[in-house]
Amino acid sequence: MHEFSISSEIAKTVLDTAEENKGIRVLSILLEIGEMTLLSVEQVKFWVQELLKGSIAEGAEINIKTIRVRIQCEFCQHQGRPFFDQQEGVGHLGPYCCPKCKSFQVKVKKGGGCTLRQIRMVR
Amino acid sequence: MNSTKGDMMKVVKPKGPEIFDIELEKDLLAKNRNLAKENRKRFDHLKITAIDVMGSIGSGKTSLIKALLKKLNMGESVGVIAGDLTTTIDAERIREEGARVIQINTGKECHLDAHLVGQAIERMSLSGIDILFIENVGNLICPGEFPLGAHKRIVVTSTTEGPYTLIKHPYIFRQADVIVLNKIDLAKAMKLNPSQLEKDSRKINPQAPFIRTNAIKGTGIPEILRSLKFKT
Repeated sequence: MHEFSISSEIAKTVLDTAEENKGIRVLSILLEIGEMTLLSVEQVKFWVQELLKGSIAEGAEINIKTIRVRIQCEFCQHQGRPFFDQQEGVGHLGPYCCPKCKSFQVKVKKGGGCTLRQIRMVR
Repeated sequence: MNSTKGDMMKVVKPKGPEIFDIELEKDLLAKNRNLAKENRKRFDHLKITAIDVMGSIGSGKTSLIKALLKKLNMGESVGVIAGDLTTTIDAERIREEGARVIQINTGKECHLDAHLVGQAIERMSLSGIDILFIENVGNLICPGEFPLGAHKRIVVTSTTEGPYTLIKHPYIFRQADVIVLNKIDLAKAMKLNPSQLEKDSRKINPQAPFIRTNAIKGTGIPEILRSLKFKT
């Protein structure tokens, strides 16, 4: 259910930004959601649409781009996609490690965030 | 309200006579992170060590905090923020140990966030407190995404949850400074091999110690306090 609180923040930011820029209608928004967040894209889309109902952004197209995860190995310093242990977990939610040295001490450099990137509006 | 304050924002040339694209870089998880930093500053200023206790529903977070309080035996110089959806049951149970307690009811939210903790520490008298435990809402998913500003994070699971808890929820266990397997006395009845969970723990988070506890009896409690660098 934490999609609800993030979606509330998204809806509020969209409406505040539209108001600041004298928008009369919001046509679309672009969100970037990292693979490594625990956010379900489908649920975020649903809640943002619901929360925008009755506002100038009702019916706006909600575009969501998934940002692939990139890691830096703290052991060998390798940077890139992690290696996912598919046998033990599903996709990116399973354990992951450095593809080179197989160390599990890796830091997520990209793909751990949720960013509102663009709002298209009419004014 | 200026929601985009501090974020990069520029108005891109119009696509048509009246359609505009507003480009921005609003990190929606940053707000919580920044509030968490504020909480941390507050704790540091007051020389308080804050510990976020996360874990599944019924894993024994409250019992564990009670056992830690009993062992620390520091009375009112330990504070506890108890997070729960609607009840004050946990706060009352903790109060029995003589600690200073404040309850946060999240209502429908499945996790504590830095804002709620910030409000709780505003309302709570923190003078004379050395250690503050923050008991999160029982959940192995959402709290992982919301740092609170605590210095250390404990994640509690228990033998009665079965053998796959760690491997199913690596995200939250990756954030832990200490991983606790509670109700160790029930492992046999549950036909559960704690060593397998320990192996999973090493794989997901090699730095965090994996501690087996029985919070009711106090087993493993000194190990937790030692790994948190508290004197026992």
